[in-house]
Amino acid sequence: MLDIKRVRADFPALSRTVHGHPLVFLDSAASSQKPLPVLEAMERVYRECYANVHRGIYAFSEEATLAYENARDRVASFINAPVRESIIFTRNTTEAINLVAYAWGRTHIRSGDRILLTEMEHHSNLVPWQLLAQETGAQLVYLPITDNGLLRMDLLDSLLDERVKLVAVTMMSNVLGTVNPVKEIVRRAHAAGAVVLVDAAQAVPHMPVDVQDLDCDFLAFSGHKMCGPTGIGVLYGKEALLEAMPPFLGGGDMIRKVEWESATWNRLPWKFEAGTPAFVEGIGLGAAVDYLTGIGMEAIAAHERELTAYAMERLSALPGLNIIGPPAHQRGGVVAFTFRGIHPHDVAHMLDMEGIAVRAGHHCAQPLHRRLGLTATVRASFYLYNTAEEVDALAQALERIGAMMGQSL
Amino acid sequence: MNNLYSQTILDHYAHPRNWGRLPSPDIVADSDDPSCGDQVHLEIALGPDGRVAQVAFEGEGCMISMASASLFTEHLQGKRVEDLEALTEEEVLGWLDAPIPPNRRACALSPLVALRAGLKAYRRTAPTGG
Repeated sequence: MLDIKRVRADFPALSRTVHGHPLVFLDSAASSQKPLPVLEAMERVYRECYANVHRGIYAFSEEATLAYENARDRVASFINAPVRESIIFTRNTTEAINLVAYAWGRTHIRSGDRILLTEMEHHSNLVPWQLLAQETGAQLVYLPITDNGLLRMDLLDSLLDERVKLVAVTMMSNVLGTVNPVKEIVRRAHAAGAVVLVDAAQAVPHMPVDVQDLDCDFLAFSGHKMCGPTGIGVLYGKEALLEAMPPFLGGGDMIRKVEWESATWNRLPWKFEAGTPAFVEGIGLGAAVDYLTGIGMEAIAAHERELTAYAMERLSALPGLNIIGPPAHQRGGVVAFTFRGIHPHDVAHMLDMEGIAVRAGHHCAQPLHRRLGLTATVRASFYLYNTAEEVDALAQALERIGAMMGQSL
Repeated sequence: MNNLYSQTILDHYAHPRNWGRLPSPDIVADSDDPSCGDQVHLEIALGPDGRVAQVAFEGEGCMISMASASLFTEHLQGKRVEDLEALTEEEVLGWLDAPIPPNRRACALSPLVALRAGLKAYRRTAPTGG
């Protein structure tokens, strides 16, 4: 069980008021709030030992380098990566996926090959593959979803023919909340000879993720959704695959030796980290990993499951409210809905007037919304610091909005 | 929550003015914002004096965009094409009678986006018009 009071005390932003109301922050699926240990870790670097990493022959640089590389070790153990060389720091999930599309995709995908995606992918796990397909002549194929937002696993094997070289799938949908059977998908994809990339942007912050257990080839996530800062994300890749890949971006730090006409590459993981890295952010991410580990990912996942089930019960009782996606036991802490035909932007705006922050729109999943016959939805998402009282506040505010709209229309 | 959703906005959203199409419009304009799904279709007929004689709209979208389009059709009456071209964002926002925060400006301004596209097309086909 989470000591929710103590958790909330760690997040200074949660004590704010908005438009005269206590903040109810229900948009952590977009980006989470930050706890004090993360803020303090980053401030400590700037105040006490700020210097560029990896090259300085002096104390500050060595301290910063040590802290940055130490954060990599903590991230590696957080997702149970077998070696630290498998952890590439990127800007975010999007950059991590683009790295694979560019460095792995352009050397392994040819005309006539297929890339298997699913209908519930975020634009960041869709557009990089579109670009790759356009460039190589490969074809994108989509594993369909059911009307309540589950993958059609019954169709997977028939789609996994010998032309499929890559499967890219989200571990948890940022719209439907669906938690996908990734381990099973990896097993079947490997049996068919395909490489698997997992978009874990919504998973790593909210549930225990073990890359060795999943046996995925690549896995991408962002620091800012898991209590860490913006500007730092992670690509996990199997070492042998990363070894064989050409670099992504060229520049400083990623080289071993540079001649006028050519260069050789640094070892892993730095081969993929050109230029001065976001090392203060990396150190912040290390602190976030420590913070989450201290609370326990199982406890966080259990708290969110409970809150999601309660939210679905409260919200579905409101007349005219339609929740998108599967039942609570098949999803993480994301509840997207439509309400009485009121445009989601209006709903979100009226909730904001009461201090309640939710997201409205297509949540970077336009094709998924079209598949569901919607242009936009309202989305409430939960994290370790959200409470049942906040769910009540949301439900009560929606009731008032419903009543107001009922009067004026 | 009543601040943003002024009586003007609620009223125009619930009872859109000049809804529909015109028999022979001179200016036809569309805006389509895929990010929120707001769609505005605007039609304007000019009178013999070159001033706006009739305006009509149809559309689908949030309350602010639809209320803005409805208000728009009222405020354009009697204007010359040059006036339409000179119309500013601030004027349009003023008609809504409510503070429109930055992240909703695009909704409020979608009829203006439509109008500007329509005016460009009108100038191309009728370069001496107005």
